Amino acid sequence: MILVKTNTTITYDDTSVRQFMIASIIWGIVGMLVGVIIATQLSWWQMNGKFLEAFSFGLFKGEGLSYLTFGRLRPLHTNAVIFAFVGNMMFAGVYYSTQRLCKVRMGSDFLSRLHFWGWQTIIVAAAITLPAGLTRGKEYAELIWPINIAVALIWVVFAINFFLTIAKRNEPSLYVALWFYIATIITIAMLYIVNHLSIPTSWIHSYPIFGGLQDGLVQWWYGHNAVAFFLTTPILGIMYYFLPKAANRPVYSYRLSIVHFWSLVFIYIWAGPHHLLNTDLPHWLQKLGMLFSLMLWAPSWGGMLNGLLTLRGAWGQLRTDPVIKFFVAGITFYGMATFEGPLLSISAVNAISHYTDWTIGHVHSGALGWNGFMAAALFYWLAPRLWKTKLWSISLANMHFWIGLVGILIYVAAMWTAGISQALMLNQEDATGTTLKYEFVETLKSIHLEYFLRSLGGLLYLVGFILCGVNIFMTARSGMATNESVEVAVLPREKKDFMKWGESLVNDPLAYIFLGIILVCLWFFLPAHANLGALVAAILLAIKAVRTFRRNSQVWANWHERLIENYLPFTLLVFIAVAIGGALQIIPSLVVNRDKNIEGRLQELYTPLELAGRDIYVSDGCYNCHSQMIRTLKPDVMRYGRTGIADDFSHLGESLYDHPYQWGSKRTGPDLAREGGPVAQGAKHMRIGKRDNIWHYNHFLNPRQTSDGSNMPNYPWLFESKTDFKGLPKKIAVQQKIGVPWPAMTKDEIEQLAREQAMEIATNLVQGGVYLEAKPELKGDELRNYLADQKIVALIAYMQKLGAYREVSPEGGAKPTPLDPDSLRKAAMPLEPPAATIKPH
Amino acid sequence: MSDQSSEPKRGHFAQNKGEVILREHEYDGIQEFDQKLPNWWLFTFYGAIVWFAVYWFLYYQLHHLRSDREVVVAEMKAVYEKKAKELEATLASLDDQTLVKTWATDAGIVASGEAIYTTNCIACHGADMSAVMMAGDQKIPLPGRSLNDGVWEYSGKPMDIFKIINQGSPVDAKGLNGAKMQAWGQMLTPKQIAEVTAYIIAKNPKEFSAQP
Repeated sequence: MILVKTNTTITYDDTSVRQFMIASIIWGIVGMLVGVIIATQLSWWQMNGKFLEAFSFGLFKGEGLSYLTFGRLRPLHTNAVIFAFVGNMMFAGVYYSTQRLCKVRMGSDFLSRLHFWGWQTIIVAAAITLPAGLTRGKEYAELIWPINIAVALIWVVFAINFFLTIAKRNEPSLYVALWFYIATIITIAMLYIVNHLSIPTSWIHSYPIFGGLQDGLVQWWYGHNAVAFFLTTPILGIMYYFLPKAANRPVYSYRLSIVHFWSLVFIYIWAGPHHLLNTDLPHWLQKLGMLFSLMLWAPSWGGMLNGLLTLRGAWGQLRTDPVIKFFVAGITFYGMATFEGPLLSISAVNAISHYTDWTIGHVHSGALGWNGFMAAALFYWLAPRLWKTKLWSISLANMHFWIGLVGILIYVAAMWTAGISQALMLNQEDATGTTLKYEFVETLKSIHLEYFLRSLGGLLYLVGFILCGVNIFMTARSGMATNESVEVAVLPREKKDFMKWGESLVNDPLAYIFLGIILVCLWFFLPAHANLGALVAAILLAIKAVRTFRRNSQVWANWHERLIENYLPFTLLVFIAVAIGGALQIIPSLVVNRDKNIEGRLQELYTPLELAGRDIYVSDGCYNCHSQMIRTLKPDVMRYGRTGIADDFSHLGESLYDHPYQWGSKRTGPDLAREGGPVAQGAKHMRIGKRDNIWHYNHFLNPRQTSDGSNMPNYPWLFESKTDFKGLPKKIAVQQKIGVPWPAMTKDEIEQLAREQAMEIATNLVQGGVYLEAKPELKGDELRNYLADQKIVALIAYMQKLGAYREVSPEGGAKPTPLDPDSLRKAAMPLEPPAATIKPH
Repeated sequence: MSDQSSEPKRGHFAQNKGEVILREHEYDGIQEFDQKLPNWWLFTFYGAIVWFAVYWFLYYQLHHLRSDREVVVAEMKAVYEKKAKELEATLASLDDQTLVKTWATDAGIVASGEAIYTTNCIACHGADMSAVMMAGDQKIPLPGRSLNDGVWEYSGKPMDIFKIINQGSPVDAKGLNGAKMQAWGQMLTPKQIAEVTAYIIAKNPKEFSAQP
């Protein structure tokens, strides 16, 4: 057969690129605007709805509006910015560059359209459901299950469209940008599906199948790697295509691309547990999270180096070209954020940063600096090409740059200051060293100025971004939407995707890597002495690998060179690389830890009413500001633990049955893990915890009445909307399916039990003399009957139960368990005396 | 971009000459150098990997590092021991007479007692100790007991008031409408509790001046 090199003319699908770009700008403005609103809510509680009184000419009257509270809008902000703004921006960049790197039009125009419109529909659905309080209660995974399914389906549409394009490419070899896109598509699918496994109780509600520790672990495996594979890898891919294009310079180092790509995708996955440092997450997971985060520093900086050093010889453009300006600043922020990340993953630093605004500052230096500025660079580069014209105004783009930069710096500096100073105040002991110096609310009051500055910084950034929107809009108007056509040489079928599976999988480099990983895992998991053998073998293997590489480096390089001409084996290897870390961290916790590893404390089961209350807690997003986790840190135990109990940090068993877990990630208010208490004397179901029912009642009506200086919203609607008693049997049935040992009850028994407890609490409230300003006509029994139906009573029932547990004596002390390095460590150590309980004087 | 005069050599030719390689292949016009990895970068990468092995070895093999649980339990034991001693010393130096005659008459002590009361106590006992809040002309009872009506549920002796604040309502008490006060000894030092007690005494002059 004679190979005839034929040429063909193709027209790129730039319409989809334009659509995604415009969507990204619009949603970006919306998402950032919501961000500015919720930032002001932390300074002025009236921003949670009461401010509407002043704007609506008397149409709205009230202390707050449920749809506008921080707990509901914050998920809207994060979802909008991550999935709507960055998501659409990523798709624009991926669609533009993939077609050109493959020299072929997108796989299917139908799928492109389905992808675009499907994704926008999902965003609209999110924007409606989240403010309505429909949520799964897990960060960045809040959307309810029907929307989850839609997201998964549309992601698969994107994947098929992308891989179709790759399969019919007219370019034998895959460029590094495409590696990053492949990693993004594969990994996000894996993370999203596992973290969204849940069983529906209705069309709008479900419980995640994981609970307590397992749910936390899966959540941060997802949450951390959503940052990695949604906010980082696709943007790195975009950098690798658009930066050399804009600078007109070759990429700095191909081998650095290879090394940092593979090390980044492999290591990133393991670092998830650094979001749960100093909690009751098993130690070996915490250690892995911390140590892998430190190892992640260099791979991350590899990306930064390859970006910045590509500009060698082109630095002059920094003065004249806004695209280069945004790229350089964005990549620099990436470098700063990925240096800060490992720093915050060190347990001791994390003790300060976690639960405070330092973390918020960190994510915003990534989101505003890296994602936002990379997006701007992309848009300013794309717009003139997509509309065949010049950028409407370079000076406006420069103005965007400077306003945005000042905004980020103010924002991040304010958050660093707020986080560190609040943490130091919270940790400060008084002169005697036996109690803490400040009440929580005093530390909150001390950072008002920083909160104001944060709003200002965010507002500046938003203004800058709106300028970008105007500039792009005017550019589009001045030009004409054009789809680029080029003539390309058709690549014969045999020139690509020729590798046999055997050649791609059975070879020296992979053999060394897999053997190495197996040996290191044996070192983690084998009992004492046997694990030393594994370690020695791993070291010997590493030495052998280095020597083989020295001798055969060209063979190894050639193999990789061939690998990137074969997309399926490449994709499979990427999947294996990203799957290993999660599998090794999560599977042991699923098979070993559930019922055995409760550390002597077993959570008391909720009653039906308390479960209803918990669902209200989740629905109103209380976890956005309150943790339920006393960390293994002295100031945490001193502040939140009960007096005299030296080990009164949270234990694993205390949240065993919590679906979803609610440990939280930020304390704008205090921790709630010890709010609950025992059943009150003489009461049948009613519990009284740290505080009285009336305290909670007054507090939800007006938090400032009980804690002066609080910035928590008022929750008047809890007193005017009814608890969903009828839905409880179905919810409890689902909980039984996922392993919560509810006693057998009929539907009627469940409802009756819930109503009985509600009546008991309402009676207690009315006897205590509560007053409801909204319903002055209700008195005595009428008020009691009214309150018993309202959400406030269910929520109080939950608050009074929160964290209640009973002691369970562990059977026969610490036994070494396979797959649990901590138990192996304990078994190998001399016996330590049990944690003594000192009775209060 | 390839018409620059200082353009490096391409492909294996450059490698053999020991020059920086510009790879043969172009992707949509994008070229790639093949620069060596910076040494300092490799050092941080290898260093972090070695540190991983060393740390894991120290912790899980040599048990050289204590777990944070071991650390925090030891620290908290020390705190509670110190606190018990502190309380003992305070109790030894205080009695009903001293509280009424010395502490409650010292303006400085009463002022700091008032500050502590304002931060911690008014949510339940009210700013004027009446345990009632006014909303418009509506009297709303607060969760706590009144501290200015002369009724002392758990004894009105100054030292007993001190102990109730320190330990919270007695374990077997029924509480007010089921509600019980938490043990403020967790949040406040014995000295601060004595100051609050002094403030309460000072706000009830008739009652306590009558006591022996």
